[in-house]
Amino acid sequence: MRDASLPAKRLYWGTRAQRNALGIGVALLLLVLWETVARVKGSVYLPPVTTVAKTFFQEWFSAQFRDQAIPSLYRMLAGYAAASVLGVTLGVLIGAYRRLFRLLDPILQFLRAIPPSAIIPVGILLIGIGDAMKIVVITFGAFWPILINAADGARNVPSERLDTARIFGVGAADQLLSVTLPSAMPGIFAGLRTGLSIAFIMIVVSEMIGSTNGLGYYILQSQRTFAIPEMYAGIVLLAILGYCLNAGFLAVEHRVLAWHHGQSARAV
Amino acid sequence: MDVSPPAPIRRPATAAAANAAAALPGFLFFAAAAAVVELAARLGWLSSYFTPPTAIVAAMARGLADGDISGQIGMTLLAFSEGLLLAAVLAITIGVLMGAIPAVYDALRIVMEFLRPVPSVAMIPLAILFLGLGTSMRVAVITYAAFWPLLVSTIYGVRAVDPVALDTARNFGVPPFEALWRVTLPAALVNVATGLRVSASIALVVTVTTELVAGNNGVGFYIAQMEQASRLPSMYAGIVLTGVLGYLVNVLFSALERKVVFWSPSARGTAQ
Repeated sequence: MRDASLPAKRLYWGTRAQRNALGIGVALLLLVLWETVARVKGSVYLPPVTTVAKTFFQEWFSAQFRDQAIPSLYRMLAGYAAASVLGVTLGVLIGAYRRLFRLLDPILQFLRAIPPSAIIPVGILLIGIGDAMKIVVITFGAFWPILINAADGARNVPSERLDTARIFGVGAADQLLSVTLPSAMPGIFAGLRTGLSIAFIMIVVSEMIGSTNGLGYYILQSQRTFAIPEMYAGIVLLAILGYCLNAGFLAVEHRVLAWHHGQSARAV
Repeated sequence: MDVSPPAPIRRPATAAAANAAAALPGFLFFAAAAAVVELAARLGWLSSYFTPPTAIVAAMARGLADGDISGQIGMTLLAFSEGLLLAAVLAITIGVLMGAIPAVYDALRIVMEFLRPVPSVAMIPLAILFLGLGTSMRVAVITYAAFWPLLVSTIYGVRAVDPVALDTARNFGVPPFEALWRVTLPAALVNVATGLRVSASIALVVTVTTELVAGNNGVGFYIAQMEQASRLPSMYAGIVLTGVLGYLVNVLFSALERKVVFWSPSARGTAQ
């Protein structure tokens, strides 16, 4: 639901262009307001928007991008990939076998309730502050929503589908791969999307707590050394990366789940 | 062809006893896993950074008894509730306005699209800058994080109100403001309750996170301090407690959700 497009409104005003113009107008107005307040007050904490923009281009169209943003993205994608593979595999198994689900449910409920950042200190003790620690922490954070949603998806496969497969003599392993897994896909994708946003948060946190590079480190360090425009530029870059990751994910989801959307549209 | 039993039998609808019986193996397995870790840690098979579960429980009991941990839990819950409450007031107000009035939605949409993808924790340095390291900084970050899911589901709920219900109200001469209060809001409550549950669990994660990164009290701060002091059983006790808190928050807000929306079609189990 988080990113699903909102239902169409019954009462429209104006044309589409007018409505977009209003939105852009308000956004621009806020930027002008920021610029004016910053210039009038001259506070160090609130640099003018134009300064932030200049810093943004100076910082991120230079070697800084390679030194700070690339390590963050690499760790995040590595951790997210590990969490996806583990979470989907285990989740589908747990969901498909009711006994396994009952056996593991209490442990899983407890582990997933732990805020993932709380295990960063454990990660630092066990693995140090290198890339491996961050990847493990990101994996831990993104793993739970993926696992839980995959298990829910696999548990709620319509029983007619499984019965049909059984009647046609489909083997257990085959059933898991060609009936349960595809049926669980909508659930799996819901989990993968939550996992992605958690992975994104975890990379920033883990770099703030124990790191010598990366975007989380960069913005906290900028704040501590009073490089304020740099701090804002870092936050803006994070916003843009977050937006792109989400948009990319939605594009993949749309492609992979095209069959499902088509089917549910027909059903309604 | 062999005739295997038909589709897995659904859980019998009879009361709590059946549920408890079904849950028993899970709890036994939990206990067994803890016992294995205990044994492995005591026998020195694991790295010394792993603490036997009994030592963690002992450290937790000590910390709770002498007020070491309990005070920190209080601070965590305080920041959590303040942030969530503030987020709820803001998100529901703005969400209802955006959902009910198209011009407001169009005006704020682009700003919202720009701000929403900023990961909440990236706001920590900004908040430190303006609010220092105290509780108000943490409350601000928690509010920011908890605001978005609730805002989106409130807008969604207000927009999804059955147009027939609104038209009926209009036909009976109910003025628009009263229709908002008596038709739209009750109908949107389902989505608001769901949004509140999601926001609450995010708020707790962000509370512990800000305490870890830049706190001067709270369970997150306690965990970081115990790690630096190498008091591992206490550190693990703090982590386990965050898990307990997370679990309780989820149970509480799920119950609230069920209570608030007992009449909605999805909660009653009848398809819409």
